[in-house]
Amino acid sequence: MHERLSFYVKRNSVIHDLNPLTKVILTLALILIAFTSPWYWTPHLLVLVAIIPLSFIGKVAPEFFRTAIRIILPAAGFLFLMQAFFQPVGDTVIFKFYFLDVTQESLMFAFRNATRVIVMVSAFTFMLLTTHPSELMSDLTRRGLPGQFAYVIISTLQILPQMQAKAQTIISAQRSRGLDTESSFLKRMGSLSPLIGPLVFGSLAEVEERAIAIEARGFTSKKVKTSLHEIPDHSSDKIIRWGLVILVILSIALNLWPS
Amino acid sequence: MKIEINNLRFTYPTGLEALRGISLTIEAGEQVAIVGQNGAGKTTLVRHFNGLLQPTVGSVLIGDWDTKKYSVAKLASRVGYVFQNPDEQLFSKDVGTEVRFGPRNLGYSKEKIDELVTRALALTELSNKTETNPYDLSPTWRKMVALASVIAMDTPIVIFDEPTTGQDAVNVARIAHVIAKLRREGKTVVTITHDIDFCAENFERVIALASGQVLLDGPAREILGQEEILAQTYVDPPQLTRLGKKLGFKETVRSQEEFLNSLKNSIDASQSK
Ligand SMILES: Nc1ncnc2c1ncn2[C@@H]1O[C@H](COP(=O)(O)OP(=O)(O)OP(=O)(O)O)[C@@H](O)[C@H]1O
Ligand SMILES: [Mg+2]
Repeated sequence: MHERLSFYVKRNSVIHDLNPLTKVILTLALILIAFTSPWYWTPHLLVLVAIIPLSFIGKVAPEFFRTAIRIILPAAGFLFLMQAFFQPVGDTVIFKFYFLDVTQESLMFAFRNATRVIVMVSAFTFMLLTTHPSELMSDLTRRGLPGQFAYVIISTLQILPQMQAKAQTIISAQRSRGLDTESSFLKRMGSLSPLIGPLVFGSLAEVEERAIAIEARGFTSKKVKTSLHEIPDHSSDKIIRWGLVILVILSIALNLWPS
Repeated sequence: MKIEINNLRFTYPTGLEALRGISLTIEAGEQVAIVGQNGAGKTTLVRHFNGLLQPTVGSVLIGDWDTKKYSVAKLASRVGYVFQNPDEQLFSKDVGTEVRFGPRNLGYSKEKIDELVTRALALTELSNKTETNPYDLSPTWRKMVALASVIAMDTPIVIFDEPTTGQDAVNVARIAHVIAKLRREGKTVVTITHDIDFCAENFERVIALASGQVLLDGPAREILGQEEILAQTYVDPPQLTRLGKKLGFKETVRSQEEFLNSLKNSIDASQSK
């Protein structure tokens, strides 16, 4: 009832007040620019001058950095190492590691790609933190996205936090029966393993129940539906969206332009 | 074992103050029912007894242990807690393993564990279902598994959170039987319930909570007679109690037997006039 059912963090900020579509476009724009801009330092700059400041403006910086440190940086670090070692480009060898040559070019290449991935994942994280999933979906369905599609996305976004909440209640049940969770990690994992079945099947059953519940309320009806919940779309939203689209077009054009 | 609650206040991280200054003593071997409307704070209160929640202000003592100083796992040797929803409590692949989980964690000897498990299974009439996966059982039997898994821990204090909700009459009788057995063993039993008949028939002391505070506390007979005050927390006394009152019985009646006795007495009295 009170558990967190998505990544969304409710705060009062200008970012939270933006229309959901604006935030989707912002995310896509950041990613497209990071991948198409011909200038080498673009992705790095995007992280420093766009994504990090935005997380402060959106008042989700603590949550953002937590995710970044736990998930995004390790993944990007791994990608960096793989590419630095296995990318056969350039011949300015910096050092040798057995049969692997690490060249200056491969380092540069790996650094940029890892940062691009950071931009991609952190832009998405930022969007999920500041956008309520159901608000996003009702806005998109109002603009013509098929309801079935929205449903699939929403249930996928919710399944992880739901399972997490469920696992949490079962862990407190186990502690109430004397399981020492301050004890070893292995013992804890051991006591969690029989949970996987019930967790997965329980979640699947929940998805089915929800499908029946929404069908009972005319989900697949072809009639145009009204919405209880008005999602504001200001003219400033439209200006931001067009501005972003122009930036993306510029970036792609610069990339294609034979200079 | 005694439970002592001193000026307990609790605020959820959401900022909602669910308990607003509760002081209670529950003596060893007492059978207490807690009633009150949805959201009165019943579950929040009992979750303090085994340390799942820690007081924001005040203290909770279980015997001589302050719950602040002991982990939930440690407190489990003194307080058994049957959750409101068995599905949040069961996780093993068969009933036998489920019931063994608690006593095994408490570090009893092998023989003691076997004995406790066998007894708990017999008491809950699950002896022929030990190999079954709890998820293949009906909700009523899952509830019994939840009960058995806590009773097997043989704790001096046992807490039931709404044991009879959604149960059929046969199973309610089974649960009452379990509670009677625990009483005979001298255990302290605290039960949250919305089932006022169940409360009237099985408990000697009733505590009524309303928005995080104790509204009424005393012998069941006295409390169930206070229709107007109980109405503040949306609790209706049992039908027979109310009927007895309407009929002008001097005593507050709680069960069919008491009702029939009082009825007989008043008929006798009016005939002898
Ligand atoms: N995890 C939580 N986070 C925030 N608020 C909570 C949480 N759990 C309960 N509450 C709130 O605390 C108050 C007391 O809840 P509690 O569950 O103790 O009530 P209850 O008396 O057990 O009700 P019920 O009869 O419905 O089980 C309610 O207003 C509830 O919404
Ligand atoms: Mg409750």
